[in-house]
Amino acid sequence: MVATGGLLLTLAGLFVVRAWWTTPFEVLGFGAAPEQPVAFPHTVHAGDGVLLMEDGHPKLNSDGSEAYGLGMDCTYCHRNVDKGAAASVPPVEQCMDCHKAVGGDLQEVKKVIQAWDTRQPLVWERVHRLPDHVRFVHEAHMRFFTQPGNLLPSGQQALVPSDVCSTCHGDVANMVEVNQVRSLKMGDCVDCHRDYSAPTDCVTCHY
Amino acid sequence: MGITRRQFLRWSGVSTLGAVMFNGCRIPEEELQIESPVDMPEDLVSGIDNWYATVCQHDMSSGIIVRVVEGRAKKIEGNPDYPMNQGRHSARSEAALQSLYHPDRLVEPLYRDQRLGQLVPISWASARQILSDKLAGLSDKGKFRIVTGPLRGHLALLTSEFVKGYGGAHMAFESLEQVTLKAAIKSVFGQNRLPEFDIANAKHLVAFGADFLSTWQAPVRYARAYGEFRQGESRRRGTHVQVDSRFSMTAASADEWVPVKPGGEGVLALSMAYVMIRDGYVPSVHAQALTDGKLLPALDNFSPENESVRNATGVDASRIETLAHEFANPGNQPALAIGGGSAGAHTSGLFNLKAIYALNVLVNNINSKGGVILNPDPPIKELSGQDVVSMGTPASLEEWQSLSGQNVEVLMTRGVNPIHGLPKAAGFSEVMANASFVVSFASFLDETVALADLVLPEHTYLEDWGDDVPDPGPGYQVFGIQQPVVRPFHEGTRSFGDELLILGASVANDLTGILGLEPGDEQIRPEFRDLLRKGAYDLWMQNRGSVKAETFDGFWNGILERGGWWDMEENVKSQSAPDPLPIGSDGKITWPTIEFQGQQGVDTFNLLPFLSNSMMDGTLAHLPWLQATPDPITSMTWHSWVEINSKTAKDMGIKEGDMLELSSPSGIVEAPAYLHPAVPPWTVSVPVGQGHTDYGQYASGVGVNIMNIIAPMVDADTRALAWAGTRVKVRNTGVNIDIPKFEGSVPSIEAEEGQIIQITNLH
Repeated sequence: MVATGGLLLTLAGLFVVRAWWTTPFEVLGFGAAPEQPVAFPHTVHAGDGVLLMEDGHPKLNSDGSEAYGLGMDCTYCHRNVDKGAAASVPPVEQCMDCHKAVGGDLQEVKKVIQAWDTRQPLVWERVHRLPDHVRFVHEAHMRFFTQPGNLLPSGQQALVPSDVCSTCHGDVANMVEVNQVRSLKMGDCVDCHRDYSAPTDCVTCHY
Repeated sequence: MGITRRQFLRWSGVSTLGAVMFNGCRIPEEELQIESPVDMPEDLVSGIDNWYATVCQHDMSSGIIVRVVEGRAKKIEGNPDYPMNQGRHSARSEAALQSLYHPDRLVEPLYRDQRLGQLVPISWASARQILSDKLAGLSDKGKFRIVTGPLRGHLALLTSEFVKGYGGAHMAFESLEQVTLKAAIKSVFGQNRLPEFDIANAKHLVAFGADFLSTWQAPVRYARAYGEFRQGESRRRGTHVQVDSRFSMTAASADEWVPVKPGGEGVLALSMAYVMIRDGYVPSVHAQALTDGKLLPALDNFSPENESVRNATGVDASRIETLAHEFANPGNQPALAIGGGSAGAHTSGLFNLKAIYALNVLVNNINSKGGVILNPDPPIKELSGQDVVSMGTPASLEEWQSLSGQNVEVLMTRGVNPIHGLPKAAGFSEVMANASFVVSFASFLDETVALADLVLPEHTYLEDWGDDVPDPGPGYQVFGIQQPVVRPFHEGTRSFGDELLILGASVANDLTGILGLEPGDEQIRPEFRDLLRKGAYDLWMQNRGSVKAETFDGFWNGILERGGWWDMEENVKSQSAPDPLPIGSDGKITWPTIEFQGQQGVDTFNLLPFLSNSMMDGTLAHLPWLQATPDPITSMTWHSWVEINSKTAKDMGIKEGDMLELSSPSGIVEAPAYLHPAVPPWTVSVPVGQGHTDYGQYASGVGVNIMNIIAPMVDADTRALAWAGTRVKVRNTGVNIDIPKFEGSVPSIEAEEGQIIQITNLH
């Protein structure tokens, strides 16, 4: 009885400590991708590989060939990412630029069309969120890593802003549902800032 | 264990306090959400632009690339890959954006309500029904006419088959048409297609009447080549003589301008030929075919010493001799002679152009570098048939005049404005009035469309499929492809090609079958794009040229990306001997008839209409960018004007801006004077294309339509309109206006006196 209680208490403590320092264990729905109002597949838009169906088989086009992702650039939709603090999500109008012509028969696209027709904004569940007392500016990070000579942690040279995204956000292009892959806790930030001799003054982020 | 009342209250108090406190620490719901706004925020700078290649219909024979951002066309540039213009473009191409977004565009079908006499909106379904009923109800199949601009490529093929299905006829309209040019090329070079003039590699160039840097044929291509001709690396600067009765932009660029008397261009050319043969500059064998074996004696009439030559050309014998020697000088080879424009628009038009192009035969520059390069047939078999090629040849004045006697029942016009662009004597307004039904496909309402019974709004070319087989081509096979770079801006516009296919299907002449398309059904109809793909398939199968691919889809994407297909290896290998010039019974080349209609005596002049540098024949007059583009010689904008010699004007008491009345037997117009020392004293020139009465808010009421006073003179051989064959009387009305011009609006910079060097003193 006491042993069971102690074990539970230890596990709970471990969970809290882990969640405090990094990402929580993926149990009880923690760490899972949130359910979104429209099941937007990044694989179809940003990915450029063969698309897979839920059963793991390749998705086929009407002529029998394998369907590939469009390989769109991240900045096509998250267009503020190299211009301001927030990467920004695209307005419904931008979705409609293409979807008034394509995909109108798909269940999820219908939701977008309905939002457009009824002029309702789409409200997404935030996947990445930093606390209020932290200021993170996408633009500065994009600018730094796209400068020649500043190699990404992966050892590669970023040529365009889109090459930088996966450093923190993981391989979003191959995620059907977007999930947070890095802890994005202060230690995570500071480690990287130290590696690149970026300022680690408190006011760099806390201002 | 029991809980005391006191303990219970303590625990419940702590729990409540805890619940309230912890709830306050929660992250508010809205911070866990992120919202996609409905509309695009205006201050967001867009990320990506796309450039699509297509061909330009405003400036035929130019390939363009269009910058598209967020599905909107933003900027037009020349396609660097396209062989015709190689990255260059003109203001006319650039202004296509204004066509796309024009506030006056036709956006829904209009039908003339018989009771109100007005055009009222109807649906496409009813419009199609009305039109197919009218076509099906023709009393005689032959009483159907379709009038378009000169057509090329697959649209020519489709229209030709459509017309054949009705037993009707097609007529191509071009305002200042070049019927004589096509005839001359056929006669001298034996070609149905205009040749490439290799200006870039020529050393000496003589151009007669052709304003090739501004408006003639493929001006963007010629202007690019001219840069090479003048300033190309590792070559001597080419010399250029312009023989022209008007001081055009091209004449202004030349080393020497010879202000020939109107109509005398052919006499001058043959006089040059005479000198070239007489002085042994060219072997007389080259003149064998042209003179039917008679050689120099056949040219006797054209000796520069003859008084008649001087009278016809207004050029001295010594100057003609110098021109001839320069042209034939071995050090100046390859030398090139081109002619067109007003040189071919006289009663002696065909004679003039034949004589001019014969100069090339004499210096033997055909199909050689720096000379006249013949153009091969289109690469796609279906497009090289005579039926299709003839769709590109404009109708002559005589053909227009004969139209009124043909009892046309249904008349279809597409994108042309013959009411504005033909002289009154052509009788086109009577044809329209007498036809029982007139249908017009157009993007804009103009004077012709306003008279139609049914108006069908068409896409602009930036929204539509099409193709082009440039004529003149670059000397090898080119197939340019026009793709929609944006989705149609208005929902109510349709493609002309698609509509012809629908009409063809509904009135049961098996158009799709003839064209070899899949018949389709109610849901999926064959489209014009399918016809283009079929042609492209033919090209893919040939597996040669600039685009090759494993699969047809790969090939199709390849030609869309590059703006077309070309094969530089594919050119004309053989040539036929030229037809002889007209030789009379005395064995000598017959003197041409150079006649004019109109006023004689004091204050009378030869009237030289010319194409506007920006608006051409007025088709583009509705675009404010082009209205505001200054004329290169006068810097005039937004108006018509009369170019008149400064000295003559002074003698007549005319100042700049004086409204001049120009009267011919056909009518009277008034336009302000523009004084210019380089106007030959025996001519006045007026640009065509203005004077619209019903062509949208920007063109209507601007300037005058000079075609209204053009006399119905025709070329003796082709019966084409001799549009430079009118004489007018000029009268100063005494009214003076401020003319809209750029010249003089900024004070010129004054140079210090000591810096001026008088070149004449150095001789």
